[in-house]
Amino acid sequence: MIERCVIAAAAEDPGLEAPAATRERLKDYFPRGATRRMTQLGLLIGSVLRDQPPRESDVVIYASQFAENQALEEYLASFPTPSPTLFQTSIHPSAVQQVLIARQQPVREVFPLTGGHDLGTRMIELAFVTPGDRVVICGGEERGTWLREVGSASEETFAFALSLSANPAGAMGVLRERAGVESAPWSLKDLWQRVRDRQNGRTARFELEWR
Amino acid sequence: MTPRIAACSCRTALGNAEATCDALLDGQRALRPLPVQGAAGGDAVPLACIGGRALDESAPPEWLPILDGLAAEIPNGPWGHARHPVFLTSSNFGVGSLYAYQRTRERAHVAYGTPYQVGEILRGRFGWGPDLTLCSHACVSAHLGLLAAERRLRAGTADRALVFSFDFISPFVTGGFHALKILNGEFPAPYADRPTGAIGLGDGAAFAVLDQSPSGPALRCQSLHNEMHHFTANRPDGGGFRAGLEPLRAESAGRRLWLKGHGTGTLEAGRLEAQTLAELFPQAPLISWKGSLGHTLGSCGLVELALALAAVRRGRIPATVGTSGPCFSESVALAPLRASDFDGFILASNAFGGAHAAALVCHD
Repeated sequence: MIERCVIAAAAEDPGLEAPAATRERLKDYFPRGATRRMTQLGLLIGSVLRDQPPRESDVVIYASQFAENQALEEYLASFPTPSPTLFQTSIHPSAVQQVLIARQQPVREVFPLTGGHDLGTRMIELAFVTPGDRVVICGGEERGTWLREVGSASEETFAFALSLSANPAGAMGVLRERAGVESAPWSLKDLWQRVRDRQNGRTARFELEWR
Repeated sequence: MTPRIAACSCRTALGNAEATCDALLDGQRALRPLPVQGAAGGDAVPLACIGGRALDESAPPEWLPILDGLAAEIPNGPWGHARHPVFLTSSNFGVGSLYAYQRTRERAHVAYGTPYQVGEILRGRFGWGPDLTLCSHACVSAHLGLLAAERRLRAGTADRALVFSFDFISPFVTGGFHALKILNGEFPAPYADRPTGAIGLGDGAAFAVLDQSPSGPALRCQSLHNEMHHFTANRPDGGGFRAGLEPLRAESAGRRLWLKGHGTGTLEAGRLEAQTLAELFPQAPLISWKGSLGHTLGSCGLVELALALAAVRRGRIPATVGTSGPCFSESVALAPLRASDFDGFILASNAFGGAHAAALVCHD
């Protein structure tokens, strides 16, 4: 049975916190001046990665269903004079790039995923076939405004990160493969909730157990 | 285990892989000067839409039937079901429909606006099962699909894997690159040492089936590197290009290679790429086709893989189109190559954030 040890975990649950408030709350996590153009999701990803910063040799698996909703909305609204800054910021996987660029941290492999009802499970699945000492899984969403009203943006704002390793030293939990057992897949929100609440659970082919 | 490319095909503004190859050998340019914001007008910039498709999205999008035609070429298999995963990759997915919604307020566009919606539409349209992973990393998206597919094969959780990639341009993306000033009134001349850099943008779609066949084109090595130096600029010392390509060197030793570079037509990235490739692979000629097809964004890695394999099958490899020199490197090929002079090629792509992706494909 294949296992990956959870060696670090963090979650952000800011509720309806406004982007400006998030920026003020988290500005000390970033180099001075770096947060000015960061999105709310970028700030939150930076927060959950603060105590598990990716190293160059790590593999980062980042996921978001809707990505930078607010930048996307503002970019679309900027036509007919589109904003170059909002264009680049609105493109997946901007949030994790904002964080790593602010910290000038190169990373060999970054796998940005997107999807829906099974996005959390897809992240875990990719982590399990990824070689390397450490895989950092992170993701999240930011609440949209006018795109949310038509179902094209997230209803909620959240973020999480998990660092997985084959080395059990200091493990706070374990993800293991469970052959032949079918369970419902996890969305990104499902996985976030289990990280936030340190809640055990089963998803298609995988099991999360906290210690 | 070496993953093999069991099938691969594409669509560009010049047609399918074979037709595109022939047109590139003929030096044809698909790019045409078109208003950057489609129906809303704006500066004329070099764009290449498949089949004369309008830049503005309709609902349903005009590109869905184009993908139907491409998907019809995928070998039969239980795609998306047990041991046959599908990796769907795109930079934009259907975001052009959100631009259309913003402009028209017609709700019909909204159904095509998010990656998940597009993934589900294609899953239903093509009969794919639930094992569908969506990757989106700007212009290296297709490479990520290839590497994720290889990982599933190597892990023994797949017998065959399908990578399907597409990007259809819209005012969302043309407006963005125009705002960045790299999509302008000039036509792209990849690797040309000239005063002004310029890219073109084009539609592209492609698929590849990877398996463990004993023969066929082999994916000998794949590599990724993310500089995380700047959103739209590379490290000025070229270290990011080197880090992305270096892992391919050992496997390339003793092989006669040609290089399908990223080559969009920008100056600084073009210079760094051409110089690094010439340094690491000094005997290998360098080619870009984006001067004809435009940059097909997240699909470019897979589109150009399909074109490279078609060129090898046809015996002649089209030269760099749109460039007449002087170039950043003497290795830039301005005349077609004879495929029999080579036994492999390197496929390289780059993206925002200093993302680098490369693959070594061998004919053995």
